[in-house]
Amino acid sequence: MWLASARAGAAPPKGARRPAPASTAPLDEASGRALVQSPVASDADLARRAVQAAVKAGASYADARLVLLRSETVSVRNDRARPVRLRERYGLGIRVVADGGWGFVAIQSLSERAVIDAAERAVASARVQGKLTAELGQPLVQLAATPTVQGKWVTPHELDPFDVAPIDKAQLLLEVCAAVRKVPGVSFAEASFEAVSEDKILVTSEGSEVHQILFRVEPSLTATAVDGRRGGFASCTHDAPGMLAGWEYLRDLQLLGEAERLGHQAVRKLHAGRVKPGHKHVVLAPSNLWLTIHESIGHPTELDRALGLEADFAGTSFMKPDQTGSLQVGSPGVHLVADRTQPGGLATVGWDDEAVAAGAWDLVRDGVLVGWQTTRDQAHFIGETASRGCCYAEGHDGVPFQRMPNVSLQPGPEGYTTEDLINATEDGVYITGRGSWSIDQQRHNFQFSGQTFWEIKRGRLTRPLRDVAYQANTVEFWSSCDMIGGKGTYRLHGTFGDGKGQPMQSNAVSHGCPPARFMANVLDTSGDPS
Amino acid sequence: MSLDKSKAKRLVELVLAQASFGDLRVHITSSQRGHLRFGAGRPTTAGDVDGVTVAVTASKDGRTATVTGGRTDEAAVSLLVQRAEGLAGLSPLDPEHMPPLSSSRPPSVKAEDSAVVKLRPAKRADLVGRAIRRAEADKVSTAGILQHEHVSEVVGNRAGLFVHHTRTQVSLSATCRTEDGTGSARSGYVSHALAGLLPERLVGDAAERATRSQLPMRRDPGRYPVILAPQAVADLLAFLVDGLDARPADEGRSAFSRAGGGTRVGERMFDERVRLWSDPADKTNPSLPFDHEGRAHEKVSWVEGGELRALHNSRYWADQKRLEDLPKPSSLHMDGGTDELEALIAGFDRGVLISRLWYTRMLDPQRLLITGLTRDGTFWIDKGKIAEPIRNFRFNDSPLSVLAKLVALGKPQRAGLSSGRVMVVPPLVVAEFELASVSDAV
Repeated sequence: MWLASARAGAAPPKGARRPAPASTAPLDEASGRALVQSPVASDADLARRAVQAAVKAGASYADARLVLLRSETVSVRNDRARPVRLRERYGLGIRVVADGGWGFVAIQSLSERAVIDAAERAVASARVQGKLTAELGQPLVQLAATPTVQGKWVTPHELDPFDVAPIDKAQLLLEVCAAVRKVPGVSFAEASFEAVSEDKILVTSEGSEVHQILFRVEPSLTATAVDGRRGGFASCTHDAPGMLAGWEYLRDLQLLGEAERLGHQAVRKLHAGRVKPGHKHVVLAPSNLWLTIHESIGHPTELDRALGLEADFAGTSFMKPDQTGSLQVGSPGVHLVADRTQPGGLATVGWDDEAVAAGAWDLVRDGVLVGWQTTRDQAHFIGETASRGCCYAEGHDGVPFQRMPNVSLQPGPEGYTTEDLINATEDGVYITGRGSWSIDQQRHNFQFSGQTFWEIKRGRLTRPLRDVAYQANTVEFWSSCDMIGGKGTYRLHGTFGDGKGQPMQSNAVSHGCPPARFMANVLDTSGDPS
Repeated sequence: MSLDKSKAKRLVELVLAQASFGDLRVHITSSQRGHLRFGAGRPTTAGDVDGVTVAVTASKDGRTATVTGGRTDEAAVSLLVQRAEGLAGLSPLDPEHMPPLSSSRPPSVKAEDSAVVKLRPAKRADLVGRAIRRAEADKVSTAGILQHEHVSEVVGNRAGLFVHHTRTQVSLSATCRTEDGTGSARSGYVSHALAGLLPERLVGDAAERATRSQLPMRRDPGRYPVILAPQAVADLLAFLVDGLDARPADEGRSAFSRAGGGTRVGERMFDERVRLWSDPADKTNPSLPFDHEGRAHEKVSWVEGGELRALHNSRYWADQKRLEDLPKPSSLHMDGGTDELEALIAGFDRGVLISRLWYTRMLDPQRLLITGLTRDGTFWIDKGKIAEPIRNFRFNDSPLSVLAKLVALGKPQRAGLSSGRVMVVPPLVVAEFELASVSDAV
């Protein structure tokens, strides 16, 4: 039963489909309604005016983004609701190239005078950067060409998540928490729903103009069991992922039906045994493996990292552009695809923040590095003539830069189930859920934990464990991958909070994968020397 | 938009005048922020962002909602208040809602520097250009960011609360990497004042350490005596500040929970030389004098003589447990000695010098066990001297253990790469630290 429920992870949301890359694609009723109701559309002329002013001031390229970013959080703790939070950020960000340098200004006070002033300030700033770049003898900004587009795209959805009253959301969460706390031994339950809406219009000096509305929703549910007498506690967090979807995704998740199971997991974890550390197999459920993909493959295939542009904070990459086509990253069965068109994917869009159409391409094929994530000003560094469409900014006031698309491990052709992977394992640990995660700045050494852990002995799950982490080197880890689940085991997970850049910006991104088997150093993190 | 005290007062009054609820609080932040990034020896992106956030929290009959917007004209704030009150009506009961604060007396904190207020793109380019040229001269590549901000913050409510604060902050961080890719180091400056920012010195320091860290040797993982440079200490103690929360401690979910119930306040947990305190009015390193509810930050001693003295709390928890109202601090200071890092090295027999930590994550909140990696300069010390650079390690250890196993403390200094909470901490010599595995990352 436990395995069956672990496999019943969240499926892609109903109504999800490939995004429409052209303005002529018909919009369904919900999408059409969202566009008609958009408050941003009425300010589109201001974005056009900003671009015109920037060009007049001397910009060789300009783009203006009007972005209304809304987020709502409804959360409860045990039988008590917390205050509802609704945040809105709205404004215009204008980005320009002048004299070969980038400039950017963001404002919230929107008037014709204000946007013209912002555009002129951005151009003046760009000229300063261009002058310094030239004095240093460094290459000036060079943008890859991209077709001009006019279009609209809205996340496929049935219900705008902001149309559901917070009290109804809280009521559902309170019922879920009550069900969790019915399990003897569970002392605390916490749950929340977060909804984000990103309504944005992009206008470029090349003639592109796109209007997109993206809905993202995410549940959270955690149970905590406390051993007050001896001192000690254990928490378990449900693995239902965030999705690019409307309220219907959360409505259909059946969290209430999962509550009791989660409570029992927390109690079982509190009393679970210790792992015998050592180099052994780990069978990773999709709810755990997605984050390992994100950190060990997603980040090192970001071209800005490989070029040294993120060296001060996020770090660089062990992968180098001149190793494209030759660096063996994993075993021959490992195939990782970048995809900004994936249904339900949190990084799925119609176009990126440079009006480049969303697409899909290989990053790792047959275990070999074959592709990179790029933007328009990076493509030429690896001899490509077009951007992969990975430019994104958080809100109107973030400077657009290279951000991660959905990066997913493709299912294996053998059609393995999770049981197949476990049955084939003599000595190992089966791990589900996202736990503590950490990786070095070049993405070699990582250590991840999880939410639930089961010892595997002679092809069977034998006992629950706690305080387990697995540590490995990225290439050794992926090279040890010898079993990958089939299509039926593929699940999509993701995060709203992929941090990168200076000043730090958040990106929402998903990673799909089946369960897979690897070798890793399994650690006992209990700290108990006995 | 600059928001001096009189303008802030008028804006708060404008918001409160729209309210129909008796319990309504407004928190306004107005800012001008700018930055210039650089990487691979050239400027990359630059930005100037003018922003304002108006957060209105409305509460009635135990139902509370917060709505945040970005406009300050009368029509906009009127709509914002209406939406907050409307959303509160649609919100569930919050039994932990506390009545509004009627007054708060935050300390007077001077944290505004006119030189930072006047920073413009040309000055940014001058500072960054100097940093890049110094790196070129030292034959290293550099990447980093110069950031500056001028921020006004105000909290007011219908019960009479009004607190206001204006601050500046400027920071420069630069990572230098050697041409062969085997050496790396990072230096940082952060302060409310521009005067101490010397790009050449900052980059020169990073370049020197990067060069010294070239071609690192491999040492086996294990438990080693270590010297933690101030930035590494700050990276670890950040978890301690978050962990000093009274409620999870009372509820048995914290490293500060006492087995059998209650908290560990009053217990000697650390080396007797450990003294941790916070003070927003510190003249050299000022920090925020109040939190988002308007609660005043005072000078607080959290650990004295190695004994846990206090935990921070929410207003609700302070009321429930009859505790002193102590918000999470905006700064952390740790007492130390007079020795600079170099003097600590000279007195250290054998072990590892750690410059900073990276990708730190909680492994076990019960023991405040943290994992992460060393980064940007890890060295083997032998007989009081840096013997050789060594490869980075992953560590699994706890600030609780570090503070209990102190050998020596150096001279406290501001951690230049910690730009959120003000952290002023000494370098520490620690008897043992768990370096669990080797990382090939540079």
